[in-house]
Amino acid sequence: MAPDLGNTQKWMQAVILHPGSDREAVASPRARKLVPASEFPRLIRPSRTLDSFDRIGIYRGMYLARLQEALEADYPGLAHFLGPKRFSDLVTGYVDRYPSRSYTLNRLGDRLPEYIRSRPGIVRQDFLYELARFELLMSRLFDAEESPVLTPEAIGAVPPESWETARLKPVAALAVQALRYPVGAYLEAVRQGNPRPATRRKNHWAVVYRRQYALRWLDLSRPAYRLLDALVNGVPLGEALSRVLRGGRQQVGEVQLFSWFRGWVTEGLFQAVELDDPA
Amino acid sequence: MGRNRWNLPDLGFGIGLRTVHYSYILANHPPIDWFEILSENYMDTGGRPLYVLDQVAERYPVVLHGVSMSVGSTDPLNLDYLKKLKALADRTRAHWVSDHLCWTGVSGINVHDLLPMPYTDESLRYTIDRVKAVSEILESPLVLENPSTYLEFGNSTWSEVDFLSTLAQEADCGILLDVNNVYVSCFNHGLDPESFIDRVPADRVVQYHLAGHTHKGTHILDTHSDHVIDEVWSLYRRSCQRTGGVATLLEWDENIPSFEVVHAEALKARRHRGLPEPDHTRAYGT
Repeated sequence: MAPDLGNTQKWMQAVILHPGSDREAVASPRARKLVPASEFPRLIRPSRTLDSFDRIGIYRGMYLARLQEALEADYPGLAHFLGPKRFSDLVTGYVDRYPSRSYTLNRLGDRLPEYIRSRPGIVRQDFLYELARFELLMSRLFDAEESPVLTPEAIGAVPPESWETARLKPVAALAVQALRYPVGAYLEAVRQGNPRPATRRKNHWAVVYRRQYALRWLDLSRPAYRLLDALVNGVPLGEALSRVLRGGRQQVGEVQLFSWFRGWVTEGLFQAVELDDPA
Repeated sequence: MGRNRWNLPDLGFGIGLRTVHYSYILANHPPIDWFEILSENYMDTGGRPLYVLDQVAERYPVVLHGVSMSVGSTDPLNLDYLKKLKALADRTRAHWVSDHLCWTGVSGINVHDLLPMPYTDESLRYTIDRVKAVSEILESPLVLENPSTYLEFGNSTWSEVDFLSTLAQEADCGILLDVNNVYVSCFNHGLDPESFIDRVPADRVVQYHLAGHTHKGTHILDTHSDHVIDEVWSLYRRSCQRTGGVATLLEWDENIPSFEVVHAEALKARRHRGLPEPDHTRAYGT
């Protein structure tokens, strides 16, 4: 007896998602539970030129190819580092563990960093995890809401006595990062077709942001990172500054602080100055 | 105006909006009749894609075309998806919204492919109800495309074209007739494409798709990677004689050439509809 619509769809999906060969997929326990292997040639008609396995195999081949292409677009650095064979193996394992549950392929790679960190036997696992995390961040910032940008007029309108408690609201497409590997430089080298840069561990700090719809990043010194991180997390300007001036081993002068602030405003990292309600 | 039963307009000859052409379109405002938008690419972004879409929709007529509605799936309809789709249609003032007669996944998983339906009474009844529900949410008749298929179910009791036609009539939806898909599926299943074209209810056809494909010898893949072949143009002419000609869209998704090449391929359809050749010199200012 032919399966009903629901079971036919469950069966076909089970066969498409199975990571083995076409014949292994049709004979897998999940597929056989829905359609006995003996029924398969009757369920999928052969054509003049292709048998039933060939025909379902077309869908199976396109499935992995499509998902690999989508992940390669979102993770070009990872694909470049691993090369075609190892990247393909990674994708096959990943989509088997985390098949897409979204209507958009843009969300397919959301758990790839997590998968890399948890999968045993990955060479350079720490570096690849951070590279993947950085590439996922880039994708999210690419799609983030567009924000207005803080203008000189808005800055000029803030009463001098209000700066101490003012909060700087960052644009939506911005993230401050403490990194252990030079993943930004690696991605830039891949993008420009340059030889691979060093991938040795090196603590550094950066802000990643979008300006005029293009993603950018700025390397930061550690004190600059601490200040910007505090500001984007809503710490009032006075308190954020005193933290930087108090703590840390590097001395920071007023001229340096002013230079950072001016650079960040020029780059459009903030959208507004939020003042305490005088009431 | 078109001759379909909803009097939806004949938008002329358009192409799909693709990322590689964004800069060209924004810089040159090419004289193209309309654009088709891949819905899912713009539903969850606030970045450049949405900015470009807003610019395009401001200047050109647009139509939304999706790949993830999964109207034939036995999973519940994704209401969040449909709500976003409706919002995007409103934002762009889309003339209509289309997707495919297919399913894309079940049990909460999306395979991201246009998977074939078994053409049975059960499937037909089920899909009619789903299409009606979607049209109600969208507040306009859904337009459904015939997909390219690479297998046939042994339990199908309907032909694809009769299934699609009956569905369109019973669910009161439009048809996006992909002429290349007709050719591809009929080759893959050993069917007569002219018979398919002749059986489509002409007053339901709102839009055409044209594209190139990849012939693998034993079967054809719908890759949208090349020029339209003569046999597909012939089917297009045959169908236009029945429909009177409706909005026509050229798809090119692999090895995408320059905007001018894709647009020129779309404009070939004018000749096949017996309309005068466009003035390319004036069109592109060269």
